[in-house]
Amino acid sequence: MFLTPIIRRTSIAAVLCTISLLSACAATPQRPSSALQSAERAIATAEDARAVQHAPLELRQARDKLAAANNAVEKDEMDIARRLAEEAAVLAELALARSEMQVALETNKELKNTTDMYKDELTRKKVLNRRAGESS
Amino acid sequence: MKSRNSTFSLRCSLASMLFATLVVSGCASAPATQSSLEGAKSQLAELQSNSLLANRAPVAMRDAEQAVKAAEQADTGSEDGEHLVFMAEQKVRIAETRAWERYYDDERQTLIDERDRAQLAARTREAEQAREEARHATLQAETSQEETAQLRRQIEELNAKPTEQGLVLTLREVLFETDEYALKAGAHADLDRLADFLKQYEERDVRIQGHTDSTGDESYNRELSQQRANAVKEYLVSQGIAPQRIATLGRGEAMPIANNDSSAGRQLNRRVEILIENPAVATTGRRR
Repeated sequence: MFLTPIIRRTSIAAVLCTISLLSACAATPQRPSSALQSAERAIATAEDARAVQHAPLELRQARDKLAAANNAVEKDEMDIARRLAEEAAVLAELALARSEMQVALETNKELKNTTDMYKDELTRKKVLNRRAGESS
Repeated sequence: MKSRNSTFSLRCSLASMLFATLVVSGCASAPATQSSLEGAKSQLAELQSNSLLANRAPVAMRDAEQAVKAAEQADTGSEDGEHLVFMAEQKVRIAETRAWERYYDDERQTLIDERDRAQLAARTREAEQAREEARHATLQAETSQEETAQLRRQIEELNAKPTEQGLVLTLREVLFETDEYALKAGAHADLDRLADFLKQYEERDVRIQGHTDSTGDESYNRELSQQRANAVKEYLVSQGIAPQRIATLGRGEAMPIANNDSSAGRQLNRRVEILIENPAVATTGRRR
């Protein structure tokens, strides 16, 4: 109970220390704004294409990566943030591709089903007609 | 044509199943943190050698090739190297997915054509069937109209009078010699028409009633009228009508239709009446 504030204070100090060390190492710690924006846009586009339904895994990975990128920005780890943002964007792009591919596939499936339905209808009628012909 | 299409679509569905398996296993075995350059390279090579997909998504394919090249040139083990391998992997997946999408797009027109053909065939069949049914119905209506008309003509020929119970045909005394119950030869024409009618309408039974005038002994008259009715029945049976369809009754002088005081009235009373029962009456109130 008495120890908690001490631990907290120590860890805050450690984090501050790390950040100052890292920023000392990094040459130019610039926020990767355009990469982050691209990732956000790509995720929004995938969501518009109903990726939640068609590619939920890829979409979740993209969101996780973007969240991690924003975390990295908070920590001033700008190189890591840029890479994570790029990875988020490429995952969102994959999610979009999966969604559009899924829609194309389902459209074709529906067409095939309709064709089968008509063919069934035709066969059924022929059978019925044949039976009617036999009985009369 | 048809079998080639179905083989083709079978191959496609097999391929897409395989693809789905690859994707699922790819996702399961290669999480984002453990990227593999070799995996990306072999997946790209596979895609490039797949004749079904290789040329379908050139832009995405070029992106994937460049990403793989960039990953190959990067320092393995470095953070940036890992990142580039991850990017290459995703780009290859995107290229493959886009190729499949394009494949489905290209396949679509064929499927639309197939559907339209099937629809046309089904609708044509439906229309033919409707036409056939309509033709059949018209034919049936014509037949039944024709039958009704024919029955009316025949009844007119029999000179029969339609009543509630059926058709009543009255044979005058001139068919028999006085005090005789054997049919005169001239009676045959009328009775032949009746026999033909009964053969055609097998659901109709007949009741034959003999009548006399009031001259003479009553029981003698009843006997005579019974025998005249029997003579008519026998003739009909000889013409092929089943005896169980024919009932006979001698009514004697009990039911005159005219005054017995005049000879003209008496002549009207000496008669045989034949009731051709209506089919409904025959089934509900059958009397033997």
